[in-house]
Amino acid sequence: MSEITLVEAITQALAYEMRVDPSVILFGEDIAKNGGVFRATQGLLAEFGPERVRDTPLAESMIAGVAIGMAIAGLKPVAEFQFMGFIYPALDQIINHAARIRNRTRGLKSCPAVFRAPYGAGIHAPEHHSESTEAIFAHIPGLRVVIPSSPKRAYGLLLASIRDPDPVVFLEPSRLYRFAKQEVPDDGKALPLDVCFTLRVGTDVTLVSWGAMVKETLAAADKLAEQGIKAEVIDVATIKPLDIETILRSVEKTGRCVIIHEAARTCGVGADISAQVAEQGLLFLKAPVQRVTGYDTIVPYARLEKLYLPTEDNIITAVITAMEYA
Amino acid sequence: MTTFYLPDLGEGLMEAEIREWHVKIGDDVKVDQDLVSVETAKAVVLVPSPQAGKIKALNAKVGDLVKTGAALVEFEGEVTRPDQGSVVGNLEQSSKRLEEEDVIIGSPTTTSATVKAMPAVRALAQQLNVNLQTLKGTGANGTITADDVKQAAGGQNTESLHGVRRVMAAVMTQSHQEVVPVTLIDDADITDLPNDMDITAALIQAIVAGIKAEPTLNAWFDGKNGKRQLFSEVNLGLAMDTPEGLFVPVLKDVASLNPAALRTQIETFKKTVKARTVASADLQGASISLSNFGMIAGRYATPIIVPPMVAILGCGRIREVPLVHAGEIKIRRVAPLSLTFDHRAVTGGEATRFLGKVIQTLESKS
Repeated sequence: MSEITLVEAITQALAYEMRVDPSVILFGEDIAKNGGVFRATQGLLAEFGPERVRDTPLAESMIAGVAIGMAIAGLKPVAEFQFMGFIYPALDQIINHAARIRNRTRGLKSCPAVFRAPYGAGIHAPEHHSESTEAIFAHIPGLRVVIPSSPKRAYGLLLASIRDPDPVVFLEPSRLYRFAKQEVPDDGKALPLDVCFTLRVGTDVTLVSWGAMVKETLAAADKLAEQGIKAEVIDVATIKPLDIETILRSVEKTGRCVIIHEAARTCGVGADISAQVAEQGLLFLKAPVQRVTGYDTIVPYARLEKLYLPTEDNIITAVITAMEYA
Repeated sequence: MTTFYLPDLGEGLMEAEIREWHVKIGDDVKVDQDLVSVETAKAVVLVPSPQAGKIKALNAKVGDLVKTGAALVEFEGEVTRPDQGSVVGNLEQSSKRLEEEDVIIGSPTTTSATVKAMPAVRALAQQLNVNLQTLKGTGANGTITADDVKQAAGGQNTESLHGVRRVMAAVMTQSHQEVVPVTLIDDADITDLPNDMDITAALIQAIVAGIKAEPTLNAWFDGKNGKRQLFSEVNLGLAMDTPEGLFVPVLKDVASLNPAALRTQIETFKKTVKARTVASADLQGASISLSNFGMIAGRYATPIIVPPMVAILGCGRIREVPLVHAGEIKIRRVAPLSLTFDHRAVTGGEATRFLGKVIQTLESKS
């Protein structure tokens, strides 16, 4: 079995599900002939044909609208938005319709669509190609927001998202697309949605992250271990609905919580996690919850990108701050 | 050879004009090093190198209009850049294996004893040096409260008091609650006392003389019922310090004892108190007390009366001082005296006259 990258795991999951479920349809800008700008759909046109793998015009609202229509009609559309920064024209469709179909029809219809988008900074891309605005979607009732951080989770969570009867915004950290490889058996086994993944077990501090920042978080945990600080690392994976139970259980044990996300600080998902930990975990806290986040600014162009992104050192500093309380 | 194509600079423009080259053929460049400045319709943009390598060729001159996607720079050697896609950018890639064998879906099952406490309580515990792990919370759902911490703080390195110490605590509390104490201080010039004179015995004899002059200090007072009992005998409680606590054995009818007999009795009490064999009868019935604390240290004090007695005399450390004596400054030996009397039962006049007689007696001994 060969080892594959995160983007290859996406392709593998799409191909698997298309083979077993003829109702799975892919479309998006440049996904068919071109194989997707990141090559997430490479080879799928050849295997499944133009009926099921379609290029669309540059019209994101239409892409979402078509996906919603197909989903209500019983298909399993997986729509790709080329970058998260291009998804905004589709917000009306996603928020006003995809998220509400089940409620609007009193449960008669659902909207089993997946809206895929690469997201996050760190790939030296132009504007619109670097943002992490997952909080917008996490805020919307009726949407599920899923973010993998490894090839295995990309495969398992994408399968679960396609099979889920409700709409999923599936955000792929482009910085991790080709960062590392992992053995990912193409066995069609989905991973559970709505649950965190504990990547490291520790006793001193709980590091909560998702997406590309999991990479820096794990690196920070390694450095902290050298200093004798045992960090528990949680990959939230599904940021909405949030598996706060896993986070709380960890914080009950460690008494310290550091949340790391790439998105801007204000109203980021970290703010909500922090609030819930304060509301339900206050009695266990030995230190104030710390957040390591991006800045409240547009993600800079390539050359200043590194200054925007939270670093391993930022995480370590936040952990030390938390450790110094008690 | 690898080729760098002019990227879409994010403005959807089809071409750009070369303004300035920042590298020349043969240069070794690093990733992100500036290659060229190009001018679009909107701005001058610096284009960084997507790779490291030696420049082999620059395919445009300053002033040239170059189409987006045109081969702009050629690097020597082959950089294996697998197809990353068709976007501007540079994805970090490696064949590094991601080790994730121990991923747990949800929470680990490990549990550990956790402490439930509000941050303010944690801060209090830190301040009072209380280990929260050792406490059992009495608050809602086992939460450790501030009171739990305070109680534990009081409870560290503590022991329950027994015996004499417990009695001392109770008696002193009672005294503080009931007695209205006034303390008088003065010095007795004892220069003329013989050097071999037993100071304690001398003090006792002086007290006896004082009581003769002012019998109201040799009494018990029952404040609740407003009753006073004067004694004809002077039964003197003598404070003795021991590791177990304060003992006050009673020298009965001290007026009848000479200094040698007093000393014998005192020495006997010292032994029996130390051995804890002193009879309880010997600890009861004092009508006035003496604390010769100056044998340890201290000059004046505010001695505490043990009810129902109404007076206690304290003697501080005897010392030599320059003193006006018979019109001249002389070095004199002085015994500092502190008399506390219960003003409910004794008047200031009685107390001062008593103290005056004590001093006079000590000073006239020779």
